[in-house]
Amino acid sequence: MEIKLQSLTKVFVAKDKKETVAVNNMDITIPSGKLIGLLGPSGCGKSTTLYMIAGLLEPTAGKIYFGDEDVTNTPPELRGIGLVFQNYALYPHMTVAQNIMFPLENIKVPKAEALERAQEMADLVGIGELMNRKPKELSGGQQQRVAIARALVKKPRVLLLDEPLSNLDARLRLQTREEIKRIQRETGITTIFVTHDQEEAMSISDEIVLMEAGIKQQVGVPQDVYDQPDNLFVAKFLGTPPINTFAGKLEAGKIMLAGHNIGKVESKTNQEVLIGIRPEGFNVVEKSKLSLPIYMVETIGRDTALIIKDPNDEAKTFRAIVDSSHRIKPGDTVNFAIKPDKLYVFNKDTGELVK
Amino acid sequence: MIESKNNLKAWLYLAPALILLGLFTFYPLFNAFFLAFVKDFNSITRSTHGMDGYAFVLFDNFSRVFKSPDFGQAVKNTAVIMLVSVPASIITALVISVALNSIKRFQGFLQTVFFLPYVTNSIAIGMTFAFIFHSDYGLVNMFLGWFGVNPITWVGPGASWEAGMTALLIYTVWGGLAFKILVFLSGLQSIDKQYYDAAKIDATPRGRVFSKITVPLLSPMIAYITITSFIGAAKAYSTIIGMFGASLGPEGNANAFITFVGLIYDALEKGTIGAYSVAASAAIVLFLFTFMFTLINMWVSKKRVHY
Amino acid sequence: MENVNSNNKNYRNKELMAKILVYTFLIGFGLFVILPFYWMVLTSLKSAEAIIAKPPILWLWPNEWELSNFKDAITAVPYFRFMLNTVVVAIFATIGTIITTVLAAFAFARLEFKGRDTLFMFMLATMMIPGEMYVITNYMTISKIPLSGLFVDGGYSLLANQTWGMSIIALTLPFMTSVFYMFFLRQSFKQIPNELYYAAKVDGTTDFKYLLKIMVPIAKPTIITITILNAMGTWNAYIWPRLVANKEIFRLVTNGLRGAAHVDELGRPIFEEQMAATLIVTLPLLIVFLLLKKYIMRGVSRSGIKG
Repeated sequence: MEIKLQSLTKVFVAKDKKETVAVNNMDITIPSGKLIGLLGPSGCGKSTTLYMIAGLLEPTAGKIYFGDEDVTNTPPELRGIGLVFQNYALYPHMTVAQNIMFPLENIKVPKAEALERAQEMADLVGIGELMNRKPKELSGGQQQRVAIARALVKKPRVLLLDEPLSNLDARLRLQTREEIKRIQRETGITTIFVTHDQEEAMSISDEIVLMEAGIKQQVGVPQDVYDQPDNLFVAKFLGTPPINTFAGKLEAGKIMLAGHNIGKVESKTNQEVLIGIRPEGFNVVEKSKLSLPIYMVETIGRDTALIIKDPNDEAKTFRAIVDSSHRIKPGDTVNFAIKPDKLYVFNKDTGELVK
Repeated sequence: MIESKNNLKAWLYLAPALILLGLFTFYPLFNAFFLAFVKDFNSITRSTHGMDGYAFVLFDNFSRVFKSPDFGQAVKNTAVIMLVSVPASIITALVISVALNSIKRFQGFLQTVFFLPYVTNSIAIGMTFAFIFHSDYGLVNMFLGWFGVNPITWVGPGASWEAGMTALLIYTVWGGLAFKILVFLSGLQSIDKQYYDAAKIDATPRGRVFSKITVPLLSPMIAYITITSFIGAAKAYSTIIGMFGASLGPEGNANAFITFVGLIYDALEKGTIGAYSVAASAAIVLFLFTFMFTLINMWVSKKRVHY
Repeated sequence: MENVNSNNKNYRNKELMAKILVYTFLIGFGLFVILPFYWMVLTSLKSAEAIIAKPPILWLWPNEWELSNFKDAITAVPYFRFMLNTVVVAIFATIGTIITTVLAAFAFARLEFKGRDTLFMFMLATMMIPGEMYVITNYMTISKIPLSGLFVDGGYSLLANQTWGMSIIALTLPFMTSVFYMFFLRQSFKQIPNELYYAAKVDGTTDFKYLLKIMVPIAKPTIITITILNAMGTWNAYIWPRLVANKEIFRLVTNGLRGAAHVDELGRPIFEEQMAATLIVTLPLLIVFLLLKKYIMRGVSRSGIKG
């Protein structure tokens, strides 16, 4: 099921009549059968978007299409969606089986068939053995799977997950996100999940939609978005440690950092810009114009993080990650070359990428 | 060393409360059991009548309770009040609370309105209800008159037991709603809204949301309210005073609406030889009854309350 | 497509219908709850002729108000004196309750001492026991406090030759503490983080100073709730004052209502005067409620859930 959001807008009006634009004019097409991560910092409008797709929130303006069907005014129960809530919303007084069967009983599926389908779903998500337990007897990861099974049991057209991993501990998170990917693959259902964790979104999504302040920033395959950010926000939000930014200049297409040319762009306009360099974008070389004193060194096994004073501003530092085979001590002066594909230039005012 | 110092300090903090409780709670408790077994207790001499000390009996005082002329009536009235008013007011309160919880506009205002009966004087409102049920000038008969019903004597002289009890039950339900609605409503408001969102997405019909989600999730409050309401109804007394006056019945038919607690005060106010022992015995019977009821209720709710 | 749209329309209509139904239901029951109050006010303003009008008059314009009913009511029964008695009793009983329960709750919540949990469980258990069990002995105690030789031979009676002061003591003494409020306060105290106590200890603050300067201010909402509930309880007290206030003039407001007053020469009730009296008794409570709604409703719902 392809999902299309057309100029989708949600304005919340508080009691004191103050208006907050939670989602601003969103246009996205979500391809059928894909796993889509809706990503952004908290308060960016991603959950609001999800709830509007679910039908639990009414859009202020704009349209939502499932395929060719306009579902903007369709009540949630007629949309054919499954929704997994952030805290799972499992009914505490029902067993796992009763929880999973509940949606089927609502539409009067015969009990025997309902039980069979519930068992099938439980097996799919790997909790087939736990059908007679109550939610409070399950671990967070198991509860999560019950919630997914409950959402899937009525064979929805779309599966929506609201921060599916945020209530799990770090180890379970890794395991569960692979599980979500597997379930999505096996069922082939169009799935949208909301998260604020970029690593989570990038690791399992077929595509990510990055949002900020209610506005869509960029949509694409995770690696493409990471490699070709449209703007400073996207570049900053994706990647850990985050991208380093420096004040710099463009002079006839040359990127100038602290008086050194470190790369080039197509644009020939001379202007002051922000230069972004990913931490892994630094090569240690024998000789270069960019030679900087090392302030601190953090050895982290595979890599070494170098903490270096900002050439523009002594009070600030930035981080470069290099191969640990380089034996570097604090106080050394190291020559760097910048990898061109890890180097970006952004407009100083708008944050837009300058090509 | 430190602990014993602490011990002493703690008892000092407790002393004022403990002294008062000892005098007016613990001692009366044991004294009630004592009195219940004293023979012919004389409240003036504080001894068995005609003796310097006490003589004891086993069940005489209890059997005097059971044989008292109003006993059957008191048990019947109390039982009817318990079995009708409690379920009626709980169900009404539950439906009102759910309705209140589902609306946004006027919720606060209506909540205040429904709470009003809690802050009123049960005698004063009882008198008002008695007048509302007045056979000639009352609102109820006027209303029934619109449907061609002839005036009924609800609470006045010559009122039948059925009529009087109906009026009393309506008043009792009215008076019991406020507390229950408040407790249910705060219970409802503490239920995670996501359960309802989940139910909505799963196309759950309204009735099923109520019976499969709301009621089970509210079951701890329902169990609590059930226990306290039954105990409260078992002790009904001032509502009857309010409606019928100290005679506990319509004019010419005193004690027609006497309750179990009414028996206790009846005996206490008479103050005749042995009356205190009868009152004490009746109070013990009441205590055992409510205690049993609480145990049964707790046992039932353990099985049915989900967490 | 067509199908979905008609579904939507159907759905909206259903929603609207449900909304109308819910509001109708709530307003209907709201009227049922308000009705006695309205009838009380209306009747208290009716003239003797208006009372017996058939069908009953449902509305009066201000120029038709018979305000003399209130004058008659307070002439027949000294309500203002009763109110004074009630207020004095409420003040003393509440101050006593607050002092004893705050001290005891502090010991239970904060201090470690031998037998603490046993004692607390024992106290909670007494909450299950109906008050009727205490009344008998408490009445005996008040009528003859066993302090032989100290005042009079054989004990001191608060009932014989009762003065106003004695009546106040008799009315308040048994109600100077409360297990329920102790429990309620202990819950509030327990929510105060331990670190605060340890910080105070490190700074050399004494326990008593900590209780007074830290715990009491933090638990202020609970204490206010207790004050209001306790005062309201006194206002509604009926049985105990009827037993121990030995002179008519020492009684409390509720006792005035169901006395022999407000009747004509033939002993028939004068309804407009009765309702004026109930309004006089009810109004102060309603005013207090509307002013302190927040504390009362929050307190009652909290004590309901945790009690």
